Amino acid sequence: MKRLLAVAALALAGAATAADPAAGKAKAAACVQCHGPEGNSQNPAIPSLASQPAQMIATQLFQFREGNRKDPQMSPMAANLSNADMNDLAAYFASVKAPLPAYRSRPESAAAGAELTKKNNCVQCHGPALRGQQHIPRLAGQQHDYLLAQLRLFKASKRADMDGNMTSAAQGLNEQDIDVLADYLAGLPAN
Amino acid sequence: MRPLIAVAVASVFAAAHAQQPAGEAPPWKQGMNPEQASSTLHPFAPHMTGRDAKELPLNTLKVPAGFKVEVWAEGIPEARSLALGDKGTVFVSNRLAKNVYAVVDKGGKREVKTILKGLNAPNGIVFSKGTLFLAERDKISRYDGIEDQLDNPPQPKVVVDNLDPTKQAGHFWKYLALGPDGKLYFNIGSPGNIVMPSYMQASVMRVDPKDGKLETVAIGVRNSVGMDFDPKTKDLWFTNHARDWLGDDSPNDTLHHVSLKSKGVTNFGYPFCHQGDTPDPEYGKDRSCKEFAKPALKLGTHIAPLGAKFYTGKMFPAEYQGNLFIAMHGSWNRTVKQGYNVMRVSFDAKGNPKMQPFVTGFLADEKADPPMWGRPVDLLVMKDGSMLFSDDYNGILYRVSYSK
Repeated sequence: MKRLLAVAALALAGAATAADPAAGKAKAAACVQCHGPEGNSQNPAIPSLASQPAQMIATQLFQFREGNRKDPQMSPMAANLSNADMNDLAAYFASVKAPLPAYRSRPESAAAGAELTKKNNCVQCHGPALRGQQHIPRLAGQQHDYLLAQLRLFKASKRADMDGNMTSAAQGLNEQDIDVLADYLAGLPAN
Repeated sequence: MRPLIAVAVASVFAAAHAQQPAGEAPPWKQGMNPEQASSTLHPFAPHMTGRDAKELPLNTLKVPAGFKVEVWAEGIPEARSLALGDKGTVFVSNRLAKNVYAVVDKGGKREVKTILKGLNAPNGIVFSKGTLFLAERDKISRYDGIEDQLDNPPQPKVVVDNLDPTKQAGHFWKYLALGPDGKLYFNIGSPGNIVMPSYMQASVMRVDPKDGKLETVAIGVRNSVGMDFDPKTKDLWFTNHARDWLGDDSPNDTLHHVSLKSKGVTNFGYPFCHQGDTPDPEYGKDRSCKEFAKPALKLGTHIAPLGAKFYTGKMFPAEYQGNLFIAMHGSWNRTVKQGYNVMRVSFDAKGNPKMQPFVTGFLADEKADPPMWGRPVDLLVMKDGSMLFSDDYNGILYRVSYSK
């Protein structure tokens, strides 16, 4: 069992302030270096944060800081963020519009992808338009290579998963399903 | 009712889902009938980074005349179960954050410390005579003398382990309560929504911390995440979550009562019979509810009763003495939501329980998604007679006090 030794106070009661998009924007300079202008990623391997549900962004930052989700770039970025920082960043990126994705899905993925999202219960949690809700991410218009990588990690039970739902859901997917899903989702409109 | 949580697809999990395509549905969907396939009902996840109390409509909370409810501490990720140290430290657990937090009252300002990290669903927490007992997914440990060394906690000693030999997919988190007999009482939940539990599952167990000896107290209990002992009779009372996907109005979640003097193991019916009188459509076909012990009280359908605590303080009016308070965390598996409040159970001269609201107002819109802005989880009677309760959705502890 890992234990923390001396730990500074996380928060004093009443000391924090409400999640603030403007404060989040001011704190986002480092984020947009990789996640793109206003959190609209230009890199297929790096997720877009714009128009993602605020609770989802804060939850993932929390998972990185707590060491539950690990990534060579993100773990150090999140290590020194306070809960208030995370809530501000989340409020900011959630408030930004995402443009139509540059990614073009293969025509044959349209029907096959839609079918897979129903058959595998994607729409139940991620919403009918796959735009996410509450702690659940927007998949529509997300970067293709990132989607592919995350689905493979969930399937392999190697992706941090707060409530286990995605690890469970991904078990029914084969590699071809994952390919079609990533191709389909990356081309859907985000807003 | 709590969402069911899967980690890996253990063999028991695959077996439990034999009638469904393996691995496709999230485990909390297990037991849906075909007509419910397009249901948009889903469990709610907490704001892991917490929400500032200033953002919340605290003025909508209601308590009986003379009572006051206020925020006592905030910034405690997924604040779940509560325990009070001898020196006033409030210990706070969670299911998902893997940490244990300590709240220290420093002259009216509450400081929140992370004292333990890297734990495995550390939901159950009890403090007694200088020792913090902690129930994780698979074991119960003790931390002796921890309140004197919050910044440098002692190494844990294992009380009992191997409590999760099948790495069960659902209901693996444990509540912990200390009995008048000095034994630690805890739940082992059902591994799915409505499945045949294996040996040790869907039970209330107890372990003697002196020798680690395990005993079964009750079976047929789908999942209990709140228990306490009547200060007068010493009897065990616990809450239980009934199954999902039988519709908005069936079955009730329940309150149960077991005398510690009773011999043998009491069976409350899961998965065959729900709420003492409703046979399960599948598992109940060849069984009778008459076989099983009845609940003491029906609490409401899908209302998700969590913490249950007898009031033993001196601050509240005399008629509150010995009342049982229950934190209602749900409902998610209902198209019209209910609950999200703290209820008060009083007992008449014959000991019959009667329930009424105590703290209400977290449920903002019964048809919205999410319908609530806060979710009560566990209760704690403080030395001054006030009562704290936790809200995992926001990472907040509230204090309820009374003055004439």
